[in-house]
Amino acid sequence: MPRSRHADPRRKVMLLMLVFVGLMFFLWPHVRTTTSLPFKTLLTLLPIVPMGAALWLIATDIVRSDEMQQRAHLIAMSLASGITAAVTFIAGFLCAAGVLALGGDDLMFVLPLISVSYAASNWMVSRRYGNVGC
Amino acid sequence: MKNRLRELRDKRAWSQGDLAEQLEVSRQTVNAIETGRYDPSLPLAFRIARLFRMTIESIFEPAKE
Repeated sequence: MPRSRHADPRRKVMLLMLVFVGLMFFLWPHVRTTTSLPFKTLLTLLPIVPMGAALWLIATDIVRSDEMQQRAHLIAMSLASGITAAVTFIAGFLCAAGVLALGGDDLMFVLPLISVSYAASNWMVSRRYGNVGC
Repeated sequence: MKNRLRELRDKRAWSQGDLAEQLEVSRQTVNAIETGRYDPSLPLAFRIARLFRMTIESIFEPAKE
Protein backbone atom coordinates (compact mmCIF):
# COMPACT_ATOMS: atom_id res chain seq x y z
CA MET A 1 0.00 0.00 0.00
CA PRO A 2 1.32 3.46 -0.74
CA ARG A 3 2.66 5.35 2.21
CA SER A 4 0.78 8.48 1.14
CA ARG A 5 -2.54 6.80 1.92
CA HIS A 6 -1.63 6.46 5.57
CA ALA A 7 -1.02 9.10 8.16
CA ASP A 8 2.65 9.52 8.92
CA PRO A 9 3.09 8.03 12.40
CA ARG A 10 6.27 9.98 13.21
CA ARG A 11 4.45 12.80 15.03
CA LYS A 12 2.47 10.33 17.12
CA VAL A 13 5.62 8.35 17.88
CA MET A 14 7.43 11.54 18.93
CA LEU A 15 4.48 12.50 21.15
CA LEU A 16 4.45 9.06 22.77
CA MET A 17 8.20 9.25 23.34
CA LEU A 18 7.74 12.65 25.01
CA VAL A 19 5.05 11.11 27.24
CA PHE A 20 7.49 8.29 28.03
CA VAL A 21 10.29 10.70 28.97
CA GLY A 22 7.84 12.83 30.99
CA LEU A 23 6.60 9.79 32.90
CA MET A 24 10.17 8.70 33.58
CA PHE A 25 11.09 12.11 35.00
CA PHE A 26 7.86 12.36 36.99
CA LEU A 27 7.66 8.80 38.29
CA TRP A 28 11.28 7.81 38.83
CA PRO A 29 11.82 9.84 42.04
CA HIS A 30 8.68 8.20 43.50
CA VAL A 31 9.86 4.72 42.48
CA ARG A 32 12.95 5.14 44.61
CA THR A 33 11.03 6.27 47.69
CA THR A 34 7.91 4.07 47.50
CA THR A 35 8.01 1.17 49.93
CA SER A 36 4.93 -0.72 48.66
CA LEU A 37 6.17 -3.37 46.21
CA PRO A 38 3.00 -3.54 44.03
CA PHE A 39 2.91 0.26 43.77
CA LYS A 40 6.63 0.39 43.02
CA THR A 41 6.13 -2.22 40.26
CA LEU A 42 3.19 -0.26 38.82
CA LEU A 43 5.14 3.01 38.80
CA THR A 44 8.14 1.30 37.22
CA LEU A 45 6.16 -0.37 34.45
CA LEU A 46 3.82 2.56 33.66
CA PRO A 47 6.22 4.22 31.17
CA ILE A 48 6.17 1.00 29.16
CA VAL A 49 2.61 1.83 28.02
CA PRO A 50 3.55 4.81 25.77
CA MET A 51 6.72 2.98 24.69
CA GLY A 52 4.68 -0.09 23.70
CA ALA A 53 2.18 2.11 21.82
CA ALA A 54 5.05 3.77 19.92
CA LEU A 55 6.53 0.39 18.96
CA TRP A 56 3.07 -0.76 17.83
CA LEU A 57 2.68 2.33 15.62
CA ILE A 58 6.10 1.74 14.06
CA ALA A 59 5.35 -1.95 13.46
CA THR A 60 1.96 -1.10 11.88
CA ASP A 61 3.61 1.48 9.63
CA ILE A 62 6.19 -1.06 8.46
CA VAL A 63 3.50 -3.63 7.67
CA ARG A 64 1.57 -1.03 5.63
CA SER A 65 4.61 0.17 3.70
CA ASP A 66 5.45 -1.09 0.22
CA GLU A 67 8.08 -3.64 -0.79
CA MET A 68 11.01 -1.24 -1.16
CA GLN A 69 10.26 0.47 2.14
CA GLN A 70 9.94 -2.91 3.86
CA ARG A 71 13.28 -3.92 2.43
CA ALA A 72 14.83 -0.70 3.75
CA HIS A 73 13.30 -1.36 7.19
CA LEU A 74 14.57 -4.95 7.14
CA ILE A 75 18.13 -3.93 6.26
CA ALA A 76 18.04 -1.16 8.87
CA MET A 77 16.73 -3.56 11.54
CA SER A 78 19.44 -6.09 10.68
CA LEU A 79 22.14 -3.42 10.95
CA ALA A 80 20.68 -2.10 14.21
CA SER A 81 20.53 -5.60 15.69
CA GLY A 82 24.14 -6.22 14.68
CA ILE A 83 25.35 -2.92 16.15
CA THR A 84 23.45 -3.50 19.40
CA ALA A 85 24.67 -7.09 19.66
CA ALA A 86 28.28 -6.01 19.08
CA VAL A 87 28.12 -3.16 21.62
CA THR A 88 26.47 -5.28 24.33
CA PHE A 89 28.85 -8.18 23.61
CA ILE A 90 31.90 -5.92 24.00
CA ALA A 91 30.41 -4.30 27.12
CA GLY A 92 29.73 -7.77 28.58
CA PHE A 93 33.32 -8.84 27.98
CA LEU A 94 34.67 -5.63 29.53
CA CYS A 95 32.37 -6.11 32.51
CA ALA A 96 33.45 -9.75 32.94
CA ALA A 97 37.09 -8.66 32.81
CA GLY A 98 36.45 -6.06 35.49
CA VAL A 99 37.31 -3.15 33.21
CA LEU A 100 33.76 -1.79 33.18
CA ALA A 101 31.28 -1.82 36.04
CA LEU A 102 27.80 -2.55 34.70
CA GLY A 103 24.61 -3.10 36.64
CA GLY A 104 21.06 -4.15 35.87
CA ASP A 105 20.16 -0.47 35.31
CA ASP A 106 22.33 -0.48 32.21
CA LEU A 107 19.89 -2.86 30.48
CA MET A 108 17.65 0.20 30.06
CA PHE A 109 20.10 1.48 27.45
CA VAL A 110 19.55 -1.46 25.08
CA LEU A 111 16.29 -0.14 23.62
CA PRO A 112 17.58 3.44 23.11
CA LEU A 113 20.74 1.98 21.54
CA ILE A 114 18.82 -0.19 19.10
CA SER A 115 16.44 2.73 18.35
CA VAL A 116 19.26 5.15 17.57
CA SER A 117 21.18 2.62 15.47
CA TYR A 118 17.95 1.69 13.67
CA ALA A 119 17.18 5.35 12.88
CA ALA A 120 20.74 5.90 11.59
CA SER A 121 20.69 2.68 9.55
CA ASN A 122 17.26 3.48 8.08
CA TRP A 123 18.45 6.95 7.07
CA MET A 124 21.54 5.44 5.46
CA VAL A 125 19.60 2.75 3.58
CA SER A 126 16.96 5.25 2.45
CA ARG A 127 19.69 7.46 1.01
CA ARG A 128 21.00 4.45 -0.90
CA TYR A 129 17.59 4.12 -2.55
CA GLY A 130 17.56 7.84 -3.22
CA ASN A 131 14.86 8.65 -0.69
CA VAL A 132 15.76 10.37 2.55
CA GLY A 133 13.10 9.62 5.14
CA CYS A 134 11.86 6.41 3.54
CA MET B 1 18.57 -3.13 -14.31
CA LYS B 2 17.59 -0.58 -16.94
CA ASN B 3 13.96 0.28 -17.50
CA ARG B 4 11.68 2.49 -19.58
CA LEU B 5 9.38 3.47 -16.75
CA ARG B 6 10.10 7.18 -16.87
CA GLU B 7 9.67 7.29 -20.65
CA LEU B 8 6.34 5.40 -20.46
CA ARG B 9 5.13 7.60 -17.62
CA ASP B 10 6.10 10.79 -19.45
CA LYS B 11 4.19 9.64 -22.56
CA ARG B 12 1.04 9.44 -20.48
CA ALA B 13 1.81 12.71 -18.70
CA TRP B 14 1.59 11.01 -15.34
CA SER B 15 3.45 12.28 -12.32
CA GLN B 16 5.39 9.86 -10.14
CA GLY B 17 2.60 10.22 -7.62
CA ASP B 18 -0.03 9.26 -10.22
CA LEU B 19 1.91 6.15 -11.17
CA ALA B 20 2.55 5.28 -7.52
CA GLU B 21 -1.16 5.55 -6.80
CA GLN B 22 -2.03 3.15 -9.62
CA LEU B 23 0.68 0.68 -8.63
CA GLU B 24 -0.20 0.97 -4.92
CA VAL B 25 3.35 1.82 -3.94
CA SER B 26 4.96 4.99 -2.60
CA ARG B 27 6.20 7.78 -4.86
CA GLN B 28 9.67 7.13 -3.46
CA THR B 29 9.54 3.57 -4.79
CA VAL B 30 8.58 4.75 -8.27
CA ASN B 31 11.47 7.22 -8.17
CA ALA B 32 13.91 4.52 -7.01
CA ILE B 33 12.82 2.17 -9.82
CA GLU B 34 13.07 4.92 -12.45
CA THR B 35 16.57 5.88 -11.35
CA GLY B 36 17.65 2.23 -11.27
CA ARG B 37 18.36 2.25 -7.54
CA TYR B 38 15.76 -0.41 -6.84
CA ASP B 39 14.72 -3.44 -8.88
CA PRO B 40 11.05 -4.28 -8.36
CA SER B 41 9.85 -7.69 -7.29
CA LEU B 42 8.31 -9.94 -9.93
CA PRO B 43 4.72 -9.22 -8.77
CA LEU B 44 5.36 -5.47 -8.97
CA ALA B 45 7.04 -5.84 -12.37
CA PHE B 46 3.91 -7.69 -13.57
CA ARG B 47 1.69 -4.90 -12.20
CA ILE B 48 3.79 -2.34 -14.09
CA ALA B 49 3.65 -4.38 -17.29
CA ARG B 50 -0.12 -4.84 -17.02
CA LEU B 51 -0.64 -1.15 -16.36
CA PHE B 52 1.22 -0.19 -19.54
CA ARG B 53 -0.18 -3.19 -21.47
CA MET B 54 3.30 -4.36 -22.30
CA THR B 55 5.51 -7.31 -21.51
CA ILE B 56 7.98 -7.17 -18.64
CA GLU B 57 10.98 -7.61 -20.94
CA SER B 58 9.88 -4.68 -23.09
CA ILE B 59 10.01 -2.43 -20.01
CA PHE B 60 12.91 -3.90 -18.06
CA GLU B 61 16.26 -4.82 -19.49
CA PRO B 62 19.06 -6.50 -17.56
CA ALA B 63 22.22 -4.44 -17.20
CA LYS B 64 25.10 -5.53 -19.43
CA GLU B 65 27.83 -7.36 -17.52
